Amino acid sequence: MNPTMDGNSCSVATFGMTRRRLLALLATATSALTVLGLEGLPTASRKQGRRAVVSFHLDQPYLDWSGTAVPYYPPPGARSAEVAAHLTEEMLRRISINL
Amino acid sequence: MVDFSNQPTMKGFFAPTRFEADVYDCEVVGKVPTDLNGAFIRLGGDWLYPPISQNDSPFSMDGYINMFRFKNGIVDYKGRWVKTPRFHADLAAHKQLFGLYRNPLTDDPSVKGLDRSVQNTTPLAFAGKLFTLKEDSLPYEIDCNTLETIGPWNFHGKYKSLTFTAHPKVDPLTGEMICYGYEATGLETNDVFLYTINKRGEVTRELRFKVPYVSMVHDIGLTQKHVIIPVFGFVTSMERLKEGKVHWGWDSTKPAYVGIVPRDGEAKDIRWFKGPERATVHTLNARTEGEKVILEAAIYDSNPFPFFPPIDGSPWDPSKARAYIRRNAFDLSSKDDGFTEEKLFPMNVSDLGRIDDRYLSLPYRYAFTAYGDKERPFNEWKAGNLAGRVNNCYGRFDLATGEMSSYFAGETHSLQEVCFVPRKNGSEGEGYIMGVASNYAEMRSELIIADAQHLQEGDIARVILPFRATAQVHGRWVNESELPFA
Repeated sequence: MNPTMDGNSCSVATFGMTRRRLLALLATATSALTVLGLEGLPTASRKQGRRAVVSFHLDQPYLDWSGTAVPYYPPPGARSAEVAAHLTEEMLRRISINL
Repeated sequence: MVDFSNQPTMKGFFAPTRFEADVYDCEVVGKVPTDLNGAFIRLGGDWLYPPISQNDSPFSMDGYINMFRFKNGIVDYKGRWVKTPRFHADLAAHKQLFGLYRNPLTDDPSVKGLDRSVQNTTPLAFAGKLFTLKEDSLPYEIDCNTLETIGPWNFHGKYKSLTFTAHPKVDPLTGEMICYGYEATGLETNDVFLYTINKRGEVTRELRFKVPYVSMVHDIGLTQKHVIIPVFGFVTSMERLKEGKVHWGWDSTKPAYVGIVPRDGEAKDIRWFKGPERATVHTLNARTEGEKVILEAAIYDSNPFPFFPPIDGSPWDPSKARAYIRRNAFDLSSKDDGFTEEKLFPMNVSDLGRIDDRYLSLPYRYAFTAYGDKERPFNEWKAGNLAGRVNNCYGRFDLATGEMSSYFAGETHSLQEVCFVPRKNGSEGEGYIMGVASNYAEMRSELIIADAQHLQEGDIARVILPFRATAQVHGRWVNESELPFA
């Protein structure tokens, strides 16, 4: 899997590490950003005084620059077949002749 | 109150769409060939209201007809409900009044005796008219320009069967249509009426006969001399209907029968051949070679439909619900009732295969159908985790050499039934393949157009719809001259 997320509100971090290690790293990074006066954060977030937070999507960590910790939602339509992924072969065939 | 929230299979891309649509001058990626003038007409189903039970069949979905209209490289799209008496009754009541698939005993008493057909299987252009077909009822005539429903059609009163197949065959040499109805005299009857209708739409011949047991006769084979009638596995009874079950169940003890009758023969001339458990739901083509009749089709090992479950209570077996392109040969000079079967390609495919229809009933070489190639990439992140469970390729299968070529739709797409469109005056297989792809990443449908002789080169054009088109059962290309298009 090679995620590429919506760049408007967040950026991807595809680290090869555990959540625990990543959280430790992000805590350090957040402290550094605070010391630097949040330089580099998006303007809207800076005006609202929000700080970057770590969030996860599909078990992949990323920095949520909005600072709101609102869960990431894929663009409309993305993964629109996922709703059928858990279905058994029998249930899948009940949908229609053609998927 | 309309509520689909408790329908586990009607979510995301597979949720009902429920709207009628007009899109003028559709967005196109690539270039639509200017020699494509006519329409790609699709018929399928959508749920106006949820079914009364999750045990019902998708074959109970309300009919929805839609058309990609091609004119000089420009494509318009139109989609309309097929407005049957059932559709109007449900809409007036604001709920589903009709029960399980072909079981009127499960209907609301208020609709007793009403035509319960949903007209969701095959579009047909014949004798200057456009029809929708559903095998449990008469054809419905549709206005080819507005796609509005006109009503049922019985060929000037000469077509006596109560039902009409979803797979009539039009002889490319004479223009005659060979068609039939099974359960022709009512529910649970073993009567089949077989008709010849000339190209002006007049019934010229009727043959009445009985099948070995009441079963689904969804499709037939046609040669220049014979009609081939597969009967297999699905059984029904009044007891089933009284128990509140769907019309069909699967009986694995029932042999597959194949009836062969001369096109000018009588009921006494039908010869029934018998084989092991199989399901020949759709045929590709057939021909008569001397004393041999050859049928080619993508045939399932067993029951392909879990919503028509085994009658012995055993679970439906997905491992046997795979179709392979096979050749059945019937020796009319033999003394026994057996026939031979040959598997022509190793991979399982969609049984919704097509040929160059100019070669129907004649010797031919190419078959086209969709299949799933697990070696091709599937982008689970963009599309959802359906890897290995979608048809991502169209294949051209060369029945003479065993070779195949394939078109890959993309890493977020699944392909519906393919259609072959011949190029004017072209040789067999020269033309385009066409079919609708579901784009799970963009939540939209795309009409694929590719050169049938160069599938591996990808598509020539994609007609983009900004929404999901209703899932197709069958689609047909109709040339400009076949219908009174505006």
